[in-house]
Amino acid sequence: MADSNAPKPSSSVKLVLLGEAAVGKSSLVLRFVNNDFQENKEPTIGAAFLTQKCNLPTRTIKFEIWDTAGQERFASLAPMYYRNAQAALVVYDLTKPTSLIKAKHWVAELQRQASPGIVIALVGNKLDLTNDSESGQAESEGADGEESGDARKISTEEAKTYAEEEGLLFFETSAKTGHNVSEVFTAIANAIPETSLKSTRGPGASSAVNRGGDEQRVNLNGPREAAKEGCAC
Amino acid sequence: MESLGDEPWDVVICGTGLQQSLLALALSRSNKRILHVDPNDYYGEHEAAFSLQEADSWAATHAGRSTEEDSSVEKRQPIFKNASVWKHPDAADLGLLSPHAYSLALAPQIIHTRSKILEQLVSSQAYRQVVFLAVGSFFVFDAEATDSSPKLARIPSSREDVFATKAIPVKSKRYLMKFLKFVIDHDSEEQKPVWQGQEQKLLSEFLASEFKLDENLQKYILALTLSLDGLITVADGLATIHRHLTSMGVFGPGFCAVYPKWGGSSEIAQVACRAGAVGGGIYMLDTEANVSNSPDGHEISLELSNGISVRTTKLVTSQQDALPDAQTITRLIAVVNSPLKPLFETVVEGAPTPAVAVVVFPGQITENSPIYAFVHSSETGECLIGQSVIYLTTLACRQSAQRLESALDDLLAAATPEGSPAPVSLYKLQYEQTVSAREPLITTREETRTFAFPSPSLSLTFDDGCLGPVKDAWKLVMGDTALETEYMVFQDREGVGDDDDVYDL
Repeated sequence: MADSNAPKPSSSVKLVLLGEAAVGKSSLVLRFVNNDFQENKEPTIGAAFLTQKCNLPTRTIKFEIWDTAGQERFASLAPMYYRNAQAALVVYDLTKPTSLIKAKHWVAELQRQASPGIVIALVGNKLDLTNDSESGQAESEGADGEESGDARKISTEEAKTYAEEEGLLFFETSAKTGHNVSEVFTAIANAIPETSLKSTRGPGASSAVNRGGDEQRVNLNGPREAAKEGCAC
Repeated sequence: MESLGDEPWDVVICGTGLQQSLLALALSRSNKRILHVDPNDYYGEHEAAFSLQEADSWAATHAGRSTEEDSSVEKRQPIFKNASVWKHPDAADLGLLSPHAYSLALAPQIIHTRSKILEQLVSSQAYRQVVFLAVGSFFVFDAEATDSSPKLARIPSSREDVFATKAIPVKSKRYLMKFLKFVIDHDSEEQKPVWQGQEQKLLSEFLASEFKLDENLQKYILALTLSLDGLITVADGLATIHRHLTSMGVFGPGFCAVYPKWGGSSEIAQVACRAGAVGGGIYMLDTEANVSNSPDGHEISLELSNGISVRTTKLVTSQQDALPDAQTITRLIAVVNSPLKPLFETVVEGAPTPAVAVVVFPGQITENSPIYAFVHSSETGECLIGQSVIYLTTLACRQSAQRLESALDDLLAAATPEGSPAPVSLYKLQYEQTVSAREPLITTREETRTFAFPSPSLSLTFDDGCLGPVKDAWKLVMGDTALETEYMVFQDREGVGDDDDVYDL
């Protein structure tokens, strides 16, 4: 999409995944990163650190995605998560009411503990188990789970109202079909405030080639130049 | 749900200090059953980084003074003490907002680019989760500087720099270049005779006698050693300067050291623990582990503060008690309402914008030890944009607290262009830090082993010496299956790789 040859400013964004076990957190990420879905996926242990670059019209964002590593049990990774995360994906399973309660708990924790300006997206996953999956529409009219095959237990309206009250992005997704998955990440990328991507030179920084984001980062894997003898004091 | 107490653990690690965390990283692919607990509700132990609230509560629990009465009773002394917090009365109006936006490092260290820890973080793939920033210029504060010369003199960072600077007379430059050339291969057969027999002499004297370096240049060279007492010996001094010089340019031009964004070692500890968790280790913060009965030689029983009892044969922990009369430093951390931009200029073409600057206040050999200030820009993620965090350190003495305060004032005045309003401190945290015994404490009882890491070194640069005990602990846990060539050498886990495909949004 980027036709101009000039490199766009690139920034890393730490995105954390939160939510009850088995709501499909890792599946969402796998769909996004690898466009892949695994049926009956094992609980996440040994999960990779995933990264995915996204090109926006004016900048490139590299998501560094922190999965829960299957440690929901003691919530002991949480302090690591809150610190310096710029975005959070709080996932619930829209066929499981307790998972929304848990999601609300995480949202409250994030609002209490995380950096100011964190972008939080509330995501109801497993849309494929509901009747509105085929149409791909987020609107389910009067569906009370009566019709066959509709396992939905949390109405779009309920979650959406909550998300609006709390100022969260809101999506219903299916990691299985891929429905709405990339949209979630696009919305997050667009919602990250420009200021949090810029360098300290930020306000009033002059040129278009802002030395922001990743250009400050030291690459430990880059070509190691042998230190020239006597070159430095 | 499987109970934690049922099966014995291969190892229980207590505390999430850097060394315990690196051990967790080293064991993260071993398939050992690992329980990692920390009595604190934060990661990093002695190397933690705190939000302002966390700093407040940490200071409250480490306010304890060591009075002379105390020491006569031989009370156990902690690693940190005498902590106090000061907040500007109008802090909020001056920009001290959202306490969570801060990350103050208890024991920040810069990491030389040739440090072994960087090698290990790369070979273990853990480096991918850490953002490393460049440490830029070193400055020497000159209290006597006249109006025409700046109070903050930048130490030349390259050969070109030495030639270009007007601060050094031509004749001195020649001596300086001669010394630098010597340091690069001071260990060679050819150069050894120059300093052999003088290893334990003071570096400053050696610089004067062998290389005719004047007082000013001695200050520059000594500043680069970051020696706490300024009394560094020839042997240590040459090794340190050598490390400094050979670290320049390793990962890019213009810098010799890096600093992990968001709080230094604390960040490495967290990434290492995360690797442990990804590898299947169980993590519990806010959980104390006490040996519940004297080990019978076959197993160690531990009572966790959450009521669970667990068993293991190997317990790895850290030493919490100060060594009597050990070296102690006073630290002052200040959040100031200015970006202090003049300190973070790039001086070499193509160099990354530095996030850390070093300012040295040379001491007087006889009375005052030097004061070192690490100035962190908001790029470190440790404060809000438009602010900076200054970490000052000096050897503890009766006046050290006041000396740090006045050095802070001097620094703020010197780093502010004339005519601009002087920056003010919004928040200050002051405390003393000392060390435990320097060797790991290993207890062997039949089949059980207890291993306690020493507390972190007070050095201002990362001390590779702390990596040895981590490897020793790793061998102890791995036993016969330890393969040294595989230590900290891991493949990327599935799904991680270079970003060959990019989403166009």
